[in-house]
Amino acid sequence: MAFRPRRAMAVFWKDSLDLRKNLGLLLSMAVLPLVMVTVPIGVVWTYVSQPDHSDLRTVALFYDPTLPLGASAARFLIDKSLTDWFGMFLVMPVFIPILIASQSVAGEKERRTLEPLLASPVSAAELVAGKSLAALVPAVLMTWFAFALFCVGVDIVAWPLVQAPLMPNALWGFGVFVFAPLFAFFGNGVAVLISARVAEARMAQQLSALVVLPLVGLVGGQVAGVLKADLGYYAIQGGVVLVLDLILLAASIRVLDRERLVSRWG
Amino acid sequence: MTHSLPVPSAEVPPQGGIRVRGLAKRFGERLAVEGLTFDVRPGEVFGLLGPNGAGKTTTVRMLTGLLRPSEGDAEVWGHSVTRDGESLRKVVGLLTEQPGLYDRLTARENLRFFMKLHELDEATAWPRALHYLERFGLGGRENEACGGFSKGMRQKLAIVRTLVHDPRVIFLDEPTSGLDPESARTVRDAVAELASEGRTIVLCSHNLSEVERLCERVAVVRRRLLALGPVRELRRSGQALDVRVEGDAEVFRPALARLPFAPNVLLEGGRLRVMLADESQAPEVVACLVGAGARVHSVVPSQRPLEEVYLDLLKDGVA
Repeated sequence: MAFRPRRAMAVFWKDSLDLRKNLGLLLSMAVLPLVMVTVPIGVVWTYVSQPDHSDLRTVALFYDPTLPLGASAARFLIDKSLTDWFGMFLVMPVFIPILIASQSVAGEKERRTLEPLLASPVSAAELVAGKSLAALVPAVLMTWFAFALFCVGVDIVAWPLVQAPLMPNALWGFGVFVFAPLFAFFGNGVAVLISARVAEARMAQQLSALVVLPLVGLVGGQVAGVLKADLGYYAIQGGVVLVLDLILLAASIRVLDRERLVSRWG
Repeated sequence: MTHSLPVPSAEVPPQGGIRVRGLAKRFGERLAVEGLTFDVRPGEVFGLLGPNGAGKTTTVRMLTGLLRPSEGDAEVWGHSVTRDGESLRKVVGLLTEQPGLYDRLTARENLRFFMKLHELDEATAWPRALHYLERFGLGGRENEACGGFSKGMRQKLAIVRTLVHDPRVIFLDEPTSGLDPESARTVRDAVAELASEGRTIVLCSHNLSEVERLCERVAVVRRRLLALGPVRELRRSGQALDVRVEGDAEVFRPALARLPFAPNVLLEGGRLRVMLADESQAPEVVACLVGAGARVHSVVPSQRPLEEVYLDLLKDGVA
């Protein structure tokens, strides 16, 4: 069956419209970016407000025993926090599509709209494309918007100490514009797969959300000093996620097969 | 036992109606539908009857390209259900048992979504949708969110959605379910009107009086085909005798039960309605009543209601 972009766009149009009218979902989507932006700004502000505090040097030496004597511990910790926080920031593009895609696929089952939808000429690939776009576009746009706020906030707060813009740097710039869409696709793929197999949107959300745990675990490893994050480290993460994205895409098209969905949920 | 003729007919032109040949569907070990063979003519309103779980919905899902048959094939308006899924879904309209509307979207947005899925030019499709919205009493409500609609309004909007792409073959699953009598009549009139435009309509319903009014022919299924034919002929497949007797008619039931063919007897307003396999049993019924001391005022042969025929068929089907 030929892929018809118009039908995929129809699904995207409907899901986006439905999302814009779902105030509860929009509010829950807004909470995460708020946290992702305010927490690191608060951390940077803490370092900037007491740059000469003796404990800062102790903490800095824990992470890097070779830190030169004359180097600013506050500046070192600001740079480290921003690098580590990037791993946490990637939770956002994974989590937002999970919120949306769980609603859009399992929600069709809950509202009994699946059968009329599948009785139309739309194909599984068009359905996956339309629903994925409807989850990815808001997730990526929100990530970029949050990133812009984050850059402005960090630069304002850090200015008294650094006297130069800290953000965006190469890691964050590259990461937010290249890795974030890959991670968003990953969250969406997981949610589509899980929501095709469970009856309720809420259960799909809860199960899908578990995929952020490894990401949080990696950040925990960085904070504990076990893992050292840099551009290469994140590039490896990105490569792994890219491979997972391709597998998830193929699997999503397979599970959104009419026969499978109708005999299970129709 | 199939009561009438499930015979492949050559009268259906290849580009119209429905041809079903040996259709079967298995879900794992469970056989949901077995060896269905029947035709539906273009412009015909065809009833698909059967109890819950009889395989009606599975049959409709196969005929609308939602499920692949395990065996056999069918052509719907010239499109094979096994090979032409996409083109098939362009010519069929399906009204599902649940309206399945998007509650946060308005009626207009719900309809526009399906226009887009069918890749219709909205400038031409929207006037048709408006026509049906007016026809079903939803004119002026198109900008309201469906979540605020009553059950009947939702059902009517779902019917409009079924028609929005101008389908040639329409499958209606309980179309008047949840509608008040006036709305139900509007829907019945619309069904007749759609058939008169040359569309083929398959009606699944438990409302047998509605089926009797709308359908020219019916198929009774319980996993397999139990009967197929014009409603008139099915009703003629057994007859009834309305006997008016003096006094309490109930006292003559035991005598009738002792007849060799032990007919079913209903008591209706002082009349005995005696179900017969054929009219040759009528004299024996009258003789039995007279022998039991009944003073018979009148004996009127009548056709059995479809409901009676249907229930007998299901009983035979189980046997």
